[in-house]
Amino acid sequence: MKHRSKLSSEQQQEHSAEQQTQAQSVREFGTAEELLRYDAAHTPVPPGIAHKLQQSVGGQPRPRAAWWKRLWGGKA
Amino acid sequence: MHEPVAEREDADDSPAGLAPSEFAELYTRNSRAIYYLALRFLGDPQKAEDATHDVFLKAFRKMAQFRGESSWRTWLYRIAINHCRNLQQRWHERHLFSNADDSVWETAADRTDSPLRVLETKELGERIQKALDGLSDEYRLLLLLVADEELSYEQVGALTEQSADAVRGKLHRARKAFGVLFQKTA
Repeated sequence: MKHRSKLSSEQQQEHSAEQQTQAQSVREFGTAEELLRYDAAHTPVPPGIAHKLQQSVGGQPRPRAAWWKRLWGGKA
Repeated sequence: MHEPVAEREDADDSPAGLAPSEFAELYTRNSRAIYYLALRFLGDPQKAEDATHDVFLKAFRKMAQFRGESSWRTWLYRIAINHCRNLQQRWHERHLFSNADDSVWETAADRTDSPLRVLETKELGERIQKALDGLSDEYRLLLLLVADEELSYEQVGALTEQSADAVRGKLHRARKAFGVLFQKTA
């Protein structure tokens, strides 16, 4: 019985600590966009994209100038 | 975003006027926005990674067509939206949920107008994704674009082929729908 109450006490403490942690990390967002903005700011871009893109671009012919740039020397 | 680099006379002597270092800068400035749009629109990190790569590669190939009538960010978004929509059409993954009637959200309890409270857990992204997946493609795209502070309602309207007023009107319903779905993920 005593053992049970000790366990219960520990569990209560854990639960209380958990609640405290949760209470500290609760965030509030006024709109969906704010939430998405927060999510976007915390979503890293996989570094593999830049590496793959570098390889892909390296194998591409240089883009042709637009017709108006060819005609007017890029001042359009 | 600053003056589009391709429009500057001193950009460089490359045919399209955009030096490799400037293309790298373009990527650095915009990759997060494009990746996030692809990630949350497609709902799959691997597909989003591939899509982001493909969008920037398309941009590189087409950069000579960029005339500076919009910002680079808007131009990249246009390529990304078209690319993601094409992928969506091929995959047909979300049809079960994509036709939710507006009346569903209109009759939802007013509690969805209250702030969205979330715990900072790693599951937050999953909850957001689930809620977005339940929206129509139109609402999902609208929310994702409006969430980008660099875009005005006019620019979002241009990207989604509607007026700024229509964007405002639909945004209200999209927010409400998202709120309902997001609460359900708790």
